[in-house]
Amino acid sequence: SACERTLRSSDTHPDGYPTVEAVKAMGKMLEEKTGGKLCIEVFFGAQLGEEKDSIEQTQFGVIDMDRVSLGPFNNIVPETQIPSLPYIFRSVEHMHHVMDGPIGQEILDAFQPHDLVGLAFYDGGSRSFYNSQRPITSMDDLKGMKFRVMQSDMFVDMVSALGANATPMPYGEVYSAIQTGVIDGAENNWPSYDTSGHYEVAKYYTLDQHLIVPEVLVMSKKTWDSLTPEEQQAVRDSARASVPVMRDLWDKQEAESEAKIEASGVKVVKDIDKTPFIEAMKPVYDKYVTSDKLKDMVKRIQATE
Amino acid sequence: MPQIRQRTDYARARETTLRDHMAKAARLTGLIANLALWVSGICLVAMTGAIAAQVFWRYVLNSSLIWTEPGSVMIMGWFIFLGAAVGIREGYHLSFDVLLYVLPDSAKPWLHSLSDLAVSIFGFGMVRYGSELAINAAKTTVPSLGISGAFDFVALTLGGVLVVLFSLERILRRLAGLPTARFGEPEPVEE
Amino acid sequence: MDLWILFGSFVFLLAIGTPVAFCLGISSFATILYLGLPPVVVFQRLNSGVSVFALMAIPFFIYAGDLMVRGDIARRLVALAGAMVGHMRGGLGQVNIMASVMFGGVSGSAAADASAVGGLMVPQMKERGYAVDYAVNITVVASIIALMIPPSHNMIIYSIAAGGRISIADLFTAGIVPGFILALSLMVAAWFVARRRGYPTEAFPGFSALGGLFLNAVPGLILIAIIFGGVRSGIFTASESSNIAVVYALLVTFLIYRTLSWHDFVEATKAAVRTTAMVLMVIGCAASFGWLLAYLRVPTAMVALLKEISDDPLIILLLINVTLLILGTFMDMSPLIVITTPIFLPVATAFGVDPVHFGVILILNLGIGLCTPPVGAVLFVGCAVGKIPIWQAMRTIWPFYGAAFATLMLVTYIPQLSLWLPSLFH
Ligand code: NA
Ligand code: NA
Repeated sequence: SACERTLRSSDTHPDGYPTVEAVKAMGKMLEEKTGGKLCIEVFFGAQLGEEKDSIEQTQFGVIDMDRVSLGPFNNIVPETQIPSLPYIFRSVEHMHHVMDGPIGQEILDAFQPHDLVGLAFYDGGSRSFYNSQRPITSMDDLKGMKFRVMQSDMFVDMVSALGANATPMPYGEVYSAIQTGVIDGAENNWPSYDTSGHYEVAKYYTLDQHLIVPEVLVMSKKTWDSLTPEEQQAVRDSARASVPVMRDLWDKQEAESEAKIEASGVKVVKDIDKTPFIEAMKPVYDKYVTSDKLKDMVKRIQATE
Repeated sequence: MPQIRQRTDYARARETTLRDHMAKAARLTGLIANLALWVSGICLVAMTGAIAAQVFWRYVLNSSLIWTEPGSVMIMGWFIFLGAAVGIREGYHLSFDVLLYVLPDSAKPWLHSLSDLAVSIFGFGMVRYGSELAINAAKTTVPSLGISGAFDFVALTLGGVLVVLFSLERILRRLAGLPTARFGEPEPVEE
Repeated sequence: MDLWILFGSFVFLLAIGTPVAFCLGISSFATILYLGLPPVVVFQRLNSGVSVFALMAIPFFIYAGDLMVRGDIARRLVALAGAMVGHMRGGLGQVNIMASVMFGGVSGSAAADASAVGGLMVPQMKERGYAVDYAVNITVVASIIALMIPPSHNMIIYSIAAGGRISIADLFTAGIVPGFILALSLMVAAWFVARRRGYPTEAFPGFSALGGLFLNAVPGLILIAIIFGGVRSGIFTASESSNIAVVYALLVTFLIYRTLSWHDFVEATKAAVRTTAMVLMVIGCAASFGWLLAYLRVPTAMVALLKEISDDPLIILLLINVTLLILGTFMDMSPLIVITTPIFLPVATAFGVDPVHFGVILILNLGIGLCTPPVGAVLFVGCAVGKIPIWQAMRTIWPFYGAAFATLMLVTYIPQLSLWLPSLFH
């Protein structure tokens, strides 16, 4: 295009995915605000590498921006562990209130010492358990079941704390593993449950929403420092303005998947008493929330409406 | 090879001395290559053991090991980079050589050396930037293994050291008039 | 200019005999220096490119193959297969192709298939007087079958790249018929080449001899059953089943056949390290090269060009096929799937092509790309297994490329070949 400078932004999601479209929308706004000085090109579908790699590339200033999940940051920016804790948010609205407020800003600011500038939080959906065996209505139903989890210590500990067995396994192998009974189920959000086809083999979905982890848009500190203060403000503003765009697209996609899956005859358990689940998380919180600063943040999140 | 026969006594003497030195050095690099190959082989066996354990735990003991996947991926890096470096010395890497078939024989050593020089520069990059990546990752820990993230890049860096060593050795051997191994050609006799 | 440096240095290094892996790596290194970007990214891609769990099937299948060859499992299996179909023209070539159909059901990786079947068949074919290039050619091109016959993780990558709205079950089912057509056309090609080269057919040894050979080969047959059955039913992943193949081969050769000495074991391990380190180094450096292609927007630019050329669906599909074949010569399969699917699929569907059908075209096409130089992981595995230079394989591979291309055209222009079988399930 006619832009003076095109910022390269990485995303592991495919074209058309809400986060990809949101960053594109941000690019349009940025182009307007800067009078055509700055544009954004989204390299979607992990063209430039998986999340861990694209983070390093952003830190080194090879690429300008990066849309990533919080998971890969947990070992780099301790503050990102907090929104990644199981059952930390009571609902998606609760998560929005926290991340749009001062706590969210505090976490965004925590990226600065790691050569990154946190710009905005996007929705990552809420993850719940699905399985091929029975409807889960209480913790007793989970006992002894085998769930696929991502390769993350906290996921493994969370599932163990709930009395189930965690089996780390590549995503692409989950479908046949459920089909053949190697595992009983997995956990994910509505759209992934839909697109992976896992609902075809795991017909019980329980909306326990154990993880409501936002995703984050960051900019390379190197790129940031090369911008004028006005351009920096334009970047911040358009990033913030892209959040509602993302949330609308996400809600639409979630509703579509939900309608499709319910029509396919999947049994969805919607009302579930989460209190025992939350109480079971105490050892997990004790293990991962160690510093006073983080303990305080947990308290403030719990106190947020 | 008439050019070689017409060379002066001085050149021949210099080449002979260099050849003696190289023959000594080759014993040392040969040891290093053999050690690296053994480490690679042990890594392959260890990887086999780790995944076998994963299968056994999952299907026989009905539980799961969480370190086997990241652990074996890391081990794989070791045997790839060390094995690839040894491959330079032993000449088992695939190559095309199209230009070499149409050029006169006298040009070949020059192009081979140019190629080895380029490879050694890449090896230098593996060392230089592998250590940068390792330092950058040192603050983090590898999920499920609990060791420093720097370990992800140790094999890359160490492999780079061997790439530089073995490709420089090839250039020096050629200067000394000693044979160097190439893909698709019989192995030169090791002294 | 940046592209000239990338491709220019690559071609130059290739021509002067630099190992392929380093051609890719050095040209990426040179280009990143020219661009003034932190060169660290080249080495990060290299490291990440080989740190992939699914790649592990390659060393394991190569290792298992080596052990089976040294420990006599392979010879007994092929003795049986030779007695069964050796009297057909190009007998062991036909066996090789059928083996790929079987191993294709084991893994979705063509490189793993080439290493498994190639490690088993090529040395045997060599021994029986077949030219090595013939054995390598068949091994290499027949490996594409593994991508078509389920399971195929590349189909899953495609489904996800397409926004996840395509049923994986349909994709899996859709690949079966084209997979068998590919096998058939390769068998025809193998028959013709064998006739022209005058490969001797072997006499049928009689049924009692056949029975004896069968009993002799039982442990090997069980191995195939474990791999085939395990992955077909989804109980094992490809990496796990390849690992089981290694452990099983060790047990059988150490304990049952007692054919594997400690020395054989050490040599098999060293040989497997040599072969796989070389192949995986190419895959790692191709990750750096592919990163630069993506960064320099090469695939995107090619596709934009294509869109402007025509609006006839037949021509569009042909152009897409040709573009993919060209991209496929330079890049590896999975990055190409994720880069081209979101751009080509909307074009194809706009012209009325079914997304499931398009997925089969894409996978078959990029599968052929795995067998073409300069970046062809499967070709490299095949040549490494046969220990022949690439140019020697390239000289005689054309009938097999032809068969694969003919299959690609059939699959492209007869949608029913892909869509009929899945339609039975709706
Ligand atoms: Na397959
Ligand atoms: Na290729």
